[in-house]
Amino acid sequence: MSVVTRDSYLKSLLQGQSQLSASPLERLNRLRANAVDRVSTLRMPTKSDEEWRFTDISPLTKMSFQPMRIASPLQISDVEHFYLAETVTRLVFVDGVYAPHLSTKLPDVSKDSGFVVSNLSATKSEILTIIEPHLGHHTEFKDNIFAALNTAFLHEGALIIVPRNVAVEIPIHLLFIATQKEVTSHPRCLLIAESGSTVTVLEDYVTLQEEAYVTNTVAEIVLAENAVVNHCRIQRDSKKSFHMANCTVSLARASQYQSISVAFGARISRYNLNLLMTDEDAECVADGLALISSHQLADTHVFIDHLKPHCTSRQLHKCIVDDAAHAVFNGKIMVRQDAQLTNSSQSNRNLLLTPRAQVDTKPQLEIFADDVKCTHGATVGQLDNEEIFYLKSRGLSEITARNLLTYAFGAEIINRIPIESLKLQLEQTVLEQTRKN
Amino acid sequence: MSATLQNVVNKPYKHGFVTEIESDVAPKGLNEETIRLISTKKNEPEWLLEFRLKAYEQWLKMEEPKWSNVTYPKIDFQEISYYSAPKPKKKLASMDEVDPELLRTFEKLGVPMNERAALAGVAVDVIFDSVSVATTYKEKLAEVGIIFCSITEAVHTHPELVKQYLGSVVPVGDNYYAALNSAVFTDGSFCFIPKGIKCPMDLSTYFRINTEGSGQFERTLIVAEEGGAVSYLEGCTAPRFDTNQLHAAVVELVALDSADIKYSTVQNWYAGDESGVGGIYNFVTKRGLAKGRNSRISWTQVETGSAITWKYPSCVLQGDNSVGEFYSVAVTNNYQQADTGTKMVHIGKNTRSTIVSKGISAGHSSNSYRGLVRVSPTAADARNFSQCDSMLIGDQCSANTFPYIHVRNNSAKVEHEASTSKIGEDQLFYFAQRGIGSEEAVSMIINGFCKDVFQQLPMEFAVEATNLLGLKLEGSVG
Repeated sequence: MSVVTRDSYLKSLLQGQSQLSASPLERLNRLRANAVDRVSTLRMPTKSDEEWRFTDISPLTKMSFQPMRIASPLQISDVEHFYLAETVTRLVFVDGVYAPHLSTKLPDVSKDSGFVVSNLSATKSEILTIIEPHLGHHTEFKDNIFAALNTAFLHEGALIIVPRNVAVEIPIHLLFIATQKEVTSHPRCLLIAESGSTVTVLEDYVTLQEEAYVTNTVAEIVLAENAVVNHCRIQRDSKKSFHMANCTVSLARASQYQSISVAFGARISRYNLNLLMTDEDAECVADGLALISSHQLADTHVFIDHLKPHCTSRQLHKCIVDDAAHAVFNGKIMVRQDAQLTNSSQSNRNLLLTPRAQVDTKPQLEIFADDVKCTHGATVGQLDNEEIFYLKSRGLSEITARNLLTYAFGAEIINRIPIESLKLQLEQTVLEQTRKN
Repeated sequence: MSATLQNVVNKPYKHGFVTEIESDVAPKGLNEETIRLISTKKNEPEWLLEFRLKAYEQWLKMEEPKWSNVTYPKIDFQEISYYSAPKPKKKLASMDEVDPELLRTFEKLGVPMNERAALAGVAVDVIFDSVSVATTYKEKLAEVGIIFCSITEAVHTHPELVKQYLGSVVPVGDNYYAALNSAVFTDGSFCFIPKGIKCPMDLSTYFRINTEGSGQFERTLIVAEEGGAVSYLEGCTAPRFDTNQLHAAVVELVALDSADIKYSTVQNWYAGDESGVGGIYNFVTKRGLAKGRNSRISWTQVETGSAITWKYPSCVLQGDNSVGEFYSVAVTNNYQQADTGTKMVHIGKNTRSTIVSKGISAGHSSNSYRGLVRVSPTAADARNFSQCDSMLIGDQCSANTFPYIHVRNNSAKVEHEASTSKIGEDQLFYFAQRGIGSEEAVSMIINGFCKDVFQQLPMEFAVEATNLLGLKLEGSVG
């Protein structure tokens, strides 16, 4: 793009920011102001930045950013098909704006227990003190223009607080629906799992139209001691859209975090997942699947920071790359000097279906402690001829054998999703997308 | 960490001494004048001067790269003397004519030239500072048509070959240090294996850096024509100095159809003292072009010295069915830093590459593997296997891996594996049970860890490398 000037472009990014109403939370206003300041000192990353070396976002810089202020008049019947049978509690955001009439109220029992699922901007004052130390504290926007932009527009968002020793059985569904083209939404999530609590959260990005738009999300997840969080993140945006996402997870002592991120949509998507193991005995699992075709680009950057001893992390990220699509993976595991007895494994497997498909992968280890067990591996290849032969020898046609193997490659990740109906839905999607005739 | 281990790690540098030979040193500083001076001193043809000036011009436009995982004070390129040659400049025909002081130096280093050649059957082209002083076995090699001489000599005797291949693998503007080298290189080795000839002996060069404050810019060019094969060894030691010395060498290999080049390095330059003062900066560009069908280029390196090692011996697999190999052991101790690895660029069909990298870090050192495997769209059925293992000794050091994998062809099969481990108490206990002390046990474990690489080394080097590692890590585990 021939950016007229850098300033005018940045200004266009912040368009509409000044019209945001001031929040009762003073810290939030300050945070926004800081983020606005920060945006003006940053620039859009280019391929010459190491972190963006393989992801050319210049098509995005040709888009105009226009945050949506008025929600589309959607009826429940329009979006019902996105609802999942298992979930009762859901927050729905339409083009980044909270839609109370589509969201489901919580059962009343939660009232005194302290269990909160609500829109961030409607937070009651007694809750403010709980979120104050966390909101905007975990996702750094100092060097991250997308996080800075999201924070500058921080207004509404999903807030979940699971109180001490409460196990929430039913998954919480955070549904982000895109309905209009050429708008930018800045979804925000904050999940605080207090000590000993258990929760499953589904962060779900869907669309009702196939045009271009921008989704720029930030999620902050905080696990106190012994908390257990299951986090599914499904990105099913339109194939013309842009999806930028930052998620930071902070794990306290003996907490467990499991995440599955699935990317099907977006022309260019980028997911930064930062996992900080801040105390001993924490465990995390970060699995992912990118299933892309045509000219899609899916970029996943996972950073696992082992700060303390005795933590375990495991990661399996898979990409199925069809047509002229391009998958990028960067997995960085940092083991700090303190973090003795770390056990960490990371694996990235890529399946290229056509000669034009591209993969750039960089599994990275940085280790400063000596008594650790760390492994990582990466493979890139096509379907194994022997496996195809094996299936053919049992009477399957070549094409069926290929479809079956491709499906199985992706299903390994999908099968780990703890929500049954979602699992079936996604299995169907994988099956359809990988089927060749 | 036990006391014994401490001792092993902290063994002083064995080869630290300065030979007092009058040197013909150019004034410090780098400008066009310096380059012309080097060219004049070496009585070079016009085209080589142009080559140098073009490189210098490019270098001026470039910025020092900063992406590596190493830190060092900014190098003042004007504080370096770019030319130094031992004084007795007359041509030497036999060993008797070599300066006795120089010979004594080699004696101390354990390179008894006059005997070694006969005993080990190795032709040693000795580089002492920047001028080749003596070459042995040249006649013997000449019989089969192999040219093995200093690059200065080759410029005069075989200008057409040097002109054709110099800069063809590493262009003058390839990177900052390669450009610098192209502008100011003073000497190096040249080797040409004609069609169908298998070199009857291992070729080797000894590098030493002498004359405090002079950077050394070596240039090595090895060309193997159709069916030619050569195994080239490079080994280095350097005296102890407190000022950092920059070493920016360039090595170019060209393998034509079915040619086979094996390049082995044992590097043990001065690494600085226990607190990280001094030591050599080793910023080297090494690249091999497997140009012809069925050609093979193999790099083996044992990197134990230098304050900073920053190099990536690479293979460009251009010919169909060509093979690239990289076997590396990098050991860092005290405050040493190493950022090393390889690049395998697959261009031709059915190209195969293997990467085996073993990193051992101890003390306060940092050891990084950085590798690139690129499969171009044209490289159908390319195959790569990479394995990089790290071992940490002590909790003050670090081990990093940065593997880049770019695949643009779906028939390619690329695998990368990495692991990190330490020498376990239980392993040492097992050895102790069998009456083997911790010192010896560590040495055995390390040698086992590096076995895959040592196997690739020529016999004499394998022995040397095993000893070297033992020496480097003495006292660091337990």
